[in-house]
Amino acid sequence: MIERQLTLIMENKPGALARVVGLFHQRGYNIDSLHVDPVEDFVPYKFIEDELNIKFSKGEVSRLIIKTTVGDALMRQILRQINKLIEVIAISDNESTYLKGILRDENLL
Amino acid sequence: MKLAGNDMLIQSLINEGVEYIFGYPGGAALHIYDSIFQQKEMQHILVRHEQGATHAADGYARATGKPGVVMVTSGPGATNAITGIATAFMDSIPMIVISGQVQSHLIGTDAFQETDMIGISRPIVKHSFTVDHQSNIAQIVKEAFHIATSGRQGPVVIDIPKDITSPDNLFDFEYPKEVNIRSYNPPLDPDPLQIERVVEAILNANQPVIYAGGGTISSNASEELKELNSYINVPVTNTLMGLGVYPATDEKFLGMLGMHGTFQANMAMHNADLILAIGARFDDRITNTPEKFAPNAQIVHFDVDHSSVSKIIEADIAVFGQVKNSLTAINSLIKKRSAEIDSTKIQKWHAQIAEWKNSHGLNHDLYKDTSDDKPILPQAVVQHIYQASKGDAFVTSDVGQHQMFAAQYYHFDEPRKWINSGGLGTMGFGLPSAMGVKLAYPNEEVVCITGEGSIQMCIQELSTCSQYKLPIKIFNINNLSLGMVKQWQDMNYDGRHSSISYEDSLPDFKSLVESYGHVGIKITKNSELKNGIEKAFSIKDKLVFVDIFVDPNEHVYPMLVAPNGSLKDMWLSKGNKT
Repeated sequence: MIERQLTLIMENKPGALARVVGLFHQRGYNIDSLHVDPVEDFVPYKFIEDELNIKFSKGEVSRLIIKTTVGDALMRQILRQINKLIEVIAISDNESTYLKGILRDENLL
Repeated sequence: MKLAGNDMLIQSLINEGVEYIFGYPGGAALHIYDSIFQQKEMQHILVRHEQGATHAADGYARATGKPGVVMVTSGPGATNAITGIATAFMDSIPMIVISGQVQSHLIGTDAFQETDMIGISRPIVKHSFTVDHQSNIAQIVKEAFHIATSGRQGPVVIDIPKDITSPDNLFDFEYPKEVNIRSYNPPLDPDPLQIERVVEAILNANQPVIYAGGGTISSNASEELKELNSYINVPVTNTLMGLGVYPATDEKFLGMLGMHGTFQANMAMHNADLILAIGARFDDRITNTPEKFAPNAQIVHFDVDHSSVSKIIEADIAVFGQVKNSLTAINSLIKKRSAEIDSTKIQKWHAQIAEWKNSHGLNHDLYKDTSDDKPILPQAVVQHIYQASKGDAFVTSDVGQHQMFAAQYYHFDEPRKWINSGGLGTMGFGLPSAMGVKLAYPNEEVVCITGEGSIQMCIQELSTCSQYKLPIKIFNINNLSLGMVKQWQDMNYDGRHSSISYEDSLPDFKSLVESYGHVGIKITKNSELKNGIEKAFSIKDKLVFVDIFVDPNEHVYPMLVAPNGSLKDMWLSKGNKT
């Protein structure tokens, strides 16, 4: 069990944050800390725009930073469950990054 | 075209090709119901309780593959729908639930019939929408149908405040032709590299098993599965949700696996060296203790849902994509390499399975014993229903012993004919889901196998069946108690039967259904069973309710030994385990 930091990029829509937070409780995971802000600077996320062939504009997307303390297998499950939420565009735990519609999982491939 | 919000909503549903709306009106939905009244393309089915509406829509969806549509009002209308939404969610059934909401300016004020439907339903929906303006209605409905019916399917809730559906304000309406949600992009086609690895694994296996579940049905991949097995000829087992996706009368079919699976299916899974898991999710009723699950098997997992793979059982090879597309890819590669298939390699495995089947397989001839010295066996009831319906009926069920007997003894040869609440295990599902199936297929035989416990959880829908003239055949396997609970109490609580009987308070079901205008038949003896069931099927234009009194002490076997058991640890009969 180690503390990990997740970064999510998601649509800035009403109820979207509640889905992420609710999912932690629903699946039995714990949140140690949570930070959310609108994305102002898109430069660090240009690779998402390129990979998914989309274009972000101001006020459209939010960034969530969540800290949680879990083991490896559960971490993978959390990433996948969050990635399944319709409004989540990308999620990363600094080891693997999941983009919507593009499945990469080193453990399986 | 300019339309008011209520008409936009209804026109959007018409554009989606909706035939039936299952629902119940109320204050917050009144504008919408006025629109329903003024159109002719769709029929609204007025149920007697919103749970019935969701199950009916669910049955319609399971039988047709098209999304079921539900309309309810705010507050209690919405909360009554929750059980049915959760049922659809657990079994990945496409459904659109439209709930009226109090007027926008009243939200958050504890207004009359206000409840936070989006909040309450959040953990049991694939997605949900609140409509905040009329101009978004068309887009939201389009997205809702797209989300409900693609990827891993599921229910989608649209909550719409009353002022948004007001007939007073007109707005431009154009229904979108297509939809593109940038943050939603479920996989379709598999990775070709993984397909090669799977084919390699199949060619090398000595003891392979196909384990196919409900995902194979949602993906309409039954033909592809049969084609695959025409090349590789391996034993096939289905989950409770997957029954019918592979023909039960095929000699390679092992029966259902899991908690009440057949001896041969569970033994084959336990001893396999290769498991092809197709649209199945290694539910806890399947795996028993995950650490002891199939110790020597390489696991290949086909799924459209990334998060289902390696959730409970670690996959060795994962194939993401629509199961239909993945199987098509496997089939075309296997066809090319068919010269490499060595059919002698798995002969020993087939022989071993035949031996298991002969030693402890289910007895499918119980119905032949018609003597009156013994009480009616529930298993024999299902066998008689199978015979009398020529194996061709849609069969819905409720939850409990009768459900397991139906799954074990009715041989389903086609997908979408077995309709039951597998994941959530919702009592009350059987009758309303049969209504949805019968509306979708009015000329087909629709059977509901239920128990006297389950049927009473949605029995009010007998009235709906009367109103819409739905000649369903209901077989009530009446053991005067909550049989499955009783079985667990017999096996794990020294027979302390806590709260499983209704004393003498059961209704006379025959008179009850007759009061709704249906036909009631009561059967108490073995010698009456065959004729009684055949008589029910001979009545074509009426709902027939057959109340059959069975042995109240019968248990469902096999049954996995839990906790800490593996798939080879089974109770085979009372006091007798492997």
